[in-house]
Amino acid sequence: MRDDLSHLPPATPDEIRAMLRRAGIELAEEHVLQFIATWPQFEAMVRRIPRGFGYADEPAHTFRPTRLAGEAE
Amino acid sequence: MDIPFLTIAELDRAYARRELSPVEVTRALLDRIAVHDGRFDSFIRVTEDVAIADAKAAEAELMAGRRRGPLHGIPYGLKDIVETAGIPTTGHSKLRQHHVPERDAEVVRRLKAGGGILMGKLATWEFANGGPSFDLPWPPARNPWDRDRLPGGSSSGPGAALAAGFVAAAIGTDTGGSIRGPAAVCGIAGLKPTYGRVSRRGVFPNTFTMDHIGPMTRSAEDIALMLQVIAGFDPADPGSEDCPVPDYAAALDEGVAGLRLGLVEGWHDAPGAHPELAPAIAEAVSVLERLGARVETVKLSSLRDYTDCKTTISIAELYTIHERDLRTRPQDFGRVLRNRILPGALIRAEDYQAALRWRTALAREQMAALKTVDAFITAGARNIAEPAEPDRPDRLVTAPSITMPFSVSGVPAIAIPCGFSAAERMPLSLQIAAAPFRETTALRIAHAYQLATDWHRRHPVLE
Repeated sequence: MRDDLSHLPPATPDEIRAMLRRAGIELAEEHVLQFIATWPQFEAMVRRIPRGFGYADEPAHTFRPTRLAGEAE
Repeated sequence: MDIPFLTIAELDRAYARRELSPVEVTRALLDRIAVHDGRFDSFIRVTEDVAIADAKAAEAELMAGRRRGPLHGIPYGLKDIVETAGIPTTGHSKLRQHHVPERDAEVVRRLKAGGGILMGKLATWEFANGGPSFDLPWPPARNPWDRDRLPGGSSSGPGAALAAGFVAAAIGTDTGGSIRGPAAVCGIAGLKPTYGRVSRRGVFPNTFTMDHIGPMTRSAEDIALMLQVIAGFDPADPGSEDCPVPDYAAALDEGVAGLRLGLVEGWHDAPGAHPELAPAIAEAVSVLERLGARVETVKLSSLRDYTDCKTTISIAELYTIHERDLRTRPQDFGRVLRNRILPGALIRAEDYQAALRWRTALAREQMAALKTVDAFITAGARNIAEPAEPDRPDRLVTAPSITMPFSVSGVPAIAIPCGFSAAERMPLSLQIAAAPFRETTALRIAHAYQLATDWHRRHPVLE
């Protein structure tokens, strides 16, 4: 069984407004309403991402100090 | 000779035989742009004075027997997120409407050194992401095959300008398919090179981890010629890879006999694709088999999975890039881009990290499959060019993308034409992807296919 967050209920318009406020985003009401219409698609997408990777599974782009050392030369 | 539709290789030969001159070609294309581009809006800015100066310089050198390489005297355009010293680089956005860079992007430096002729700056979706948009300082580009349709995006101007016969080559950028998508729906060739193959320095970022710079031309052969000039290590680009640059043109004629090609199951033939796409891909497979390739099916994760992974990563990074402007002047973004950036503010660190870890798993899946086949085969787009309607819903996350899988894995992928829809007479496209830094493999397959077919020779007739 896939380990994701797609079982969670979608955010309500009030919750979306609260998330925008917490992120420090201030928009005209017209733009807020546009975003409230847009966000559910993105929310569903993010919640479909599988979780539950092994502890040693690193992100695709790991820190590469050798490249930074090369820059300094 | 039909100057607007000559390939780079044909122009190069015509220059060598003194049948054409760079100035003659440049003036012919500038005249064509002046007559026709008002209907297609592929250019944001035509750099006529620069083009004529570049053409005269190229002509003088070629006449003196000093040929710099295959792009010497070749007219090209740049997607307008590629910085050009002294020439405005707008990102097709009100936010950078008056931005004039002080330095050239690395890819521009290489094109200049190769003797190319800069014809102008080409339309894009806003900052290579928000589009199609109808509320920006410039209108969106239109598709020369049907002006009521779009040329795809985000390299919309390059796709339209090549299809219209305004330039022989263009530089596009590709984060999730922005070279291959426009190439597919405009009936031209477009290559997303391996991640790190071409320097991103001086190109306005769309993401930090998935941006690719690449060539858009009329043929796979031309892709090889242009890639030769722009590929190579750049220590000032943190994503650049220090790998040898092979002779791309030399590998073109090796053919496909004996190659193993993996036709990906459930991608081009999934519900929602154009009904004539699967037959067109089947016919392309038949052509490759007749040329000696062995084609088998391979199974990879769904387009939905790849699209979710790629979009989550890119939206989070996109927000980071635009955060300051979004906080201070949100009204200056187009509606589409604003609504694509904003979700990035709400994506949590754990979501972003989960997507990055998923990317590793998805890329490993492709690398494993590429140990059993030499290249993947699929479509370059799942549909023909979409209608130019301002109020269409944003399809970024609603429609799975057939180009994003190779954005996630970073492997090289080329889109080339493979037919036309019967009803709409719009281009259909084949996509070929190979292992990292095996552009030569993708190019030799595409070139062999184009030697056996003539889809890439067709072009729209501009009224």
